[in-house]
Amino acid sequence: MTPSITEKNNSHKRVKDTQLIFWVGLIVVSVIGFLFYFYIPPATDIGAAQPIAFSHRVHAGIKDIQCQFCHSYVDRSIHPGIPPVEKCLYCHKYIIANHPEIQKEHMYFNTGTPTPWKKVFYLPEHVFFNHQRHIKKEIACGECHGPIETMDRLKGESFKMGFCITCHKAKKANLDCWLACHN
Amino acid sequence: MKRRNFLKLAGMGSLSFAASACTSETDKTIFSLVQAPADMVTGSPTWYASTCRECPAGCGIIAKNREGRVIKVEGNPLHPINRGKLCIRGQAVVQGIYNPDRIKSPLLKKNGQKKNSQWQPISFSQARSLIQEKTIQAVQNGSDKVRMITELVGDSQMTLFTRCLEQFKSKDPIAFEPLAYETLKTANREAFGIDGLPSYRMDKADCLVSLGADFLETWLSPVEYAWQFKAMHAVKTEKKGIFFHISPYQSLTGANADRWIACDPGKEAAVVMGLIKAALEQGRGSGLPQSLVQSLRDASEGYTAQATARMAGINPKDFETLKSHVLKAKTPLILGTGAGGGAFQADLAANMLNLVLDPDLALFDFDHRHRVERSARRSEVLDFFKSLSADAAKLLFIHNANPVYALPHDSGVKETLTDDRLFVVSFSNFMDDTTALADLIFPVSLSLESWDEYSGKNGIISTLQPAMGRLTEAPHIGDLMLDVAFKDDQPVSDYKAWVMTRLHSRGIVKEKNGWLKALQAGGVFSAVSQAVTRPRLLESVAGLFKTVADTVEADPAKPIFAAVPSIRFFDGRGANRPWLCEIPDPLTKVAWQTPVLGHPETLKAAGTGHGEGVEIKTRYGRVETIAYETRQVKTGVLVMGMGQGHRHFGRYAENVGINPLTLLSTKTDDHTGAPVFSIIVTDFTGTGDTIPLAHTDGSRIQHGRKIALSVPLDQVIKNDDEKTGHGESLTMEGFPFTLPLPEGYDPKRDFYPPHGHENYRWAMVVDLDKCIGCAACAAACYVENNIGIVGKDRIIEGREMAWLQVERYHDPENPEKITFFPMMCQHCDNAPCEPVCPVYAPHHSKEGINNQIYNRCIGTRFCSQNCPYKVRRFNWFEWEWPEPLNLQLNPDVTVRSKGVMEKCSFCVQRIKVAHGVAKDEKRDIKDGEVIPACVQTCPTGALTFGNLMDVNSQVRMLTQNRRAYQAMGYINTKPAVIYLKKVVQEFS
Repeated sequence: MTPSITEKNNSHKRVKDTQLIFWVGLIVVSVIGFLFYFYIPPATDIGAAQPIAFSHRVHAGIKDIQCQFCHSYVDRSIHPGIPPVEKCLYCHKYIIANHPEIQKEHMYFNTGTPTPWKKVFYLPEHVFFNHQRHIKKEIACGECHGPIETMDRLKGESFKMGFCITCHKAKKANLDCWLACHN
Repeated sequence: MKRRNFLKLAGMGSLSFAASACTSETDKTIFSLVQAPADMVTGSPTWYASTCRECPAGCGIIAKNREGRVIKVEGNPLHPINRGKLCIRGQAVVQGIYNPDRIKSPLLKKNGQKKNSQWQPISFSQARSLIQEKTIQAVQNGSDKVRMITELVGDSQMTLFTRCLEQFKSKDPIAFEPLAYETLKTANREAFGIDGLPSYRMDKADCLVSLGADFLETWLSPVEYAWQFKAMHAVKTEKKGIFFHISPYQSLTGANADRWIACDPGKEAAVVMGLIKAALEQGRGSGLPQSLVQSLRDASEGYTAQATARMAGINPKDFETLKSHVLKAKTPLILGTGAGGGAFQADLAANMLNLVLDPDLALFDFDHRHRVERSARRSEVLDFFKSLSADAAKLLFIHNANPVYALPHDSGVKETLTDDRLFVVSFSNFMDDTTALADLIFPVSLSLESWDEYSGKNGIISTLQPAMGRLTEAPHIGDLMLDVAFKDDQPVSDYKAWVMTRLHSRGIVKEKNGWLKALQAGGVFSAVSQAVTRPRLLESVAGLFKTVADTVEADPAKPIFAAVPSIRFFDGRGANRPWLCEIPDPLTKVAWQTPVLGHPETLKAAGTGHGEGVEIKTRYGRVETIAYETRQVKTGVLVMGMGQGHRHFGRYAENVGINPLTLLSTKTDDHTGAPVFSIIVTDFTGTGDTIPLAHTDGSRIQHGRKIALSVPLDQVIKNDDEKTGHGESLTMEGFPFTLPLPEGYDPKRDFYPPHGHENYRWAMVVDLDKCIGCAACAAACYVENNIGIVGKDRIIEGREMAWLQVERYHDPENPEKITFFPMMCQHCDNAPCEPVCPVYAPHHSKEGINNQIYNRCIGTRFCSQNCPYKVRRFNWFEWEWPEPLNLQLNPDVTVRSKGVMEKCSFCVQRIKVAHGVAKDEKRDIKDGEVIPACVQTCPTGALTFGNLMDVNSQVRMLTQNRRAYQAMGYINTKPAVIYLKKVVQEFS
């Protein structure tokens, strides 16, 4: 039994460990990379594709239509309301009536199918946001929703509590847990 | 591998998991409507007035619709029957619509074979043609080949059924209600010439005697009689109404009596006879015909106080007390026997006693008779089934009736239904015991999905309208029948038109917009009274009474088994609503199970005891269940609640509990045609097993602590009652009454400074004198707050989730004296739960409410340990709402997930709505504007909610009441739930 054998064994083991760390590290990096490109690919960060290629930039920006014209419950309910297809067709019966995207709308209307829009502004289920109260306090839509009049597809936002609290603190608004947001 | 490397690797591993979990899920879909209905705003409720059809009482409801689905029903405040209140069963109506076991499309027995238990789904149009075909075949065979049995329905529906059956050359349909009050009806027929059920002006009485009529649970119209009872039983300046309950078993109604007198089963009549004798001796009954008085005198001659007490098996002292109060009373009212088929003698004697005491019968309302009087007698129902084979009927329609469950085994109904020559169509939405034997199941729309009309009492027409979108394609039974019976030659376009036309032609709806007005109000409540039969005293009653009176005899004592209607399941139709199974029985506090109640001596004699398995045998059947020991049952009597033990009725009812009706005989009383809900027990023995009871009460008594308190009436009148907790010391007796306001703080006993509240300090006052323990509040709380259903096993583990429970405490000395005590989060100002949470999840709000922040909670459960009231509930599991039960969930309340603590919130979502309205109108919230779900539904108005900081608010005023105290206030929690002591009357 010589010490050299022990040493050899040790060095052999060290090599093995280094290799193991390398391979595991490589796998982890590739998994993270894969997940990153799979879920949040940087190049397509322009918001979810919607069933109808509706452009907020055209409607709210160029045509300068008031938000409340479409989201008409916003000042009388907790939800702003998504316009029914019928409402789109009030105008689009006359405006670009034959556009393929408008044809899609006709399809939804004629078949009586609700349009499955992708939700872009997201709050967790245990948060109760009341649009009516914010509109009554004359908080502009853009303060939370951003410059949507510049966007075709909405990138959206997953609101976090800090976002709400910052503003509530600055405006000295309700900071009570249940009475404000959670219940 | 070295430890260092292992840690490196482990670190990398967890990092990669953390990285992959970083993306929050945002790809939810939000649907837009095709066309926006005018009456729907997403996020805001719309209310539709309709009528509750969970029992024949006919209470008005308003249904709350959110985004197209009904999420809650409440009482219609305009409705004269229930005045905005609902019972436990009414609250649970939505679990019928959203029941996961609801049948969505017609089902046909496979291969058309009766014995086959497999079903084949077919389309509605196929099923309709099949029924059409079968009717044509049946009619070709001659008359009376198409028969129909239905639950009690409104006038419009019944007339339509009759017209349709005429079209099929067949006899009228029969309305089957298992609880049909035959003896009461017969007694009224023999005495007043009216084969019906007058309503009572109970609120005008000053002394009420019930011979087992459980009017707080199921009897005739429980919500209506609950408020009437509390109106007569409230503390007035000098006195309070008196209520005696005479029955072998202390029901919930009996528990609310000032004195429950335990009598031998079926011997209530003897007590009444004794009272008649005493009243006549006092010279009462002078307004009556002399001949009647004479025969009453003759009949009651033998009923001296001693004899009465002996025959009825009651204490002679109790009888003396009863006698003196009844004879002293200015407006006494004697109510008959319960729905459980009481003795005819007792009901007839009660009528006679009412006549003797008040010949004008001022407390009887013959104008507004209960509609349930139109249901068939039990004997008629049995004859109906017999006639099916006699008439060689070919086709039987069953509409929401469950005779296989409700009739004892020897009735032969099962055999009739499985006869190959009879084609049975069930219009049920649920696979119940009867429907399982049908050949074709054709589900029809339920009451909240239909246009209809119903009157619980004469002259009060309630309308029904669809209050929600449709979950199935099921048509209304009226539309189906019109279609089948009249084909292309329909008298009206649809059933809705049928209802409208009939209301117009009966003059109930007059102007053009009358129908809309009626719908809006929920009905027409002062409809023209049609020719009402006036009661007239029949001379024949004198003779009959004599013969009847002679049949009241003392029986040798035998164990008797009695099946009693249940406040939760009624006759069994509520058994598939999980809320009703989960909320424990008000008296036993047992959920999900059906124990048999017996006196300790009865159980001892059978060699068994509390919580042990027992076997009960009668001539007609046997059941095994759990014994529940209680002194609220007369010795030698076994009592079991009706409603459970279905063989088929969906996941919540199948093989849950026991059906006591299987022990009974089909035999009906010859004179009244009533079923007998009691029977002699042939064998009652313990099985030797110990079965855990799924009960929610920790104890039956208070162990000397000041929780549910009462005060004698004379002290209240004299104002010399000791104000509990209004002293100065720090003991249980002398701890001061401390409002959860800054004035409730005193440096001598408080370490922390008071909470600063902004404008509002929410609080609730619970008047224990008004609480009847009916648990409607608990049900409303379940509906409003998305509370999970945990099931029997979890309740045995003590993990029920109820935010509000009505506790019941027996007096240790007199166990028949019971105090009901609604217990919910006390929203303490000095809350023990708040300082022990490591993450500040319980949080004191600026308006005084104790918030529980679900997303902050990490589930240490310290708060629950430190809560002296034990009102905090921990989510040990994710609770299930099998589809479409989840559609009922209130979108304004978070559905809590596993690992989170929860508790009563004072319905903060309703407070937030009130804040919004007040802000819009630039004012403060008005008193009475915030009404939590429990307060809203309480039939007796025992609960009051409001702002303590408003010195003129109702709650603040009530805290000035001398009866006000706080539950265990002596531990200085400063609860915001203030109780008012129950006022008890002691009779010497």
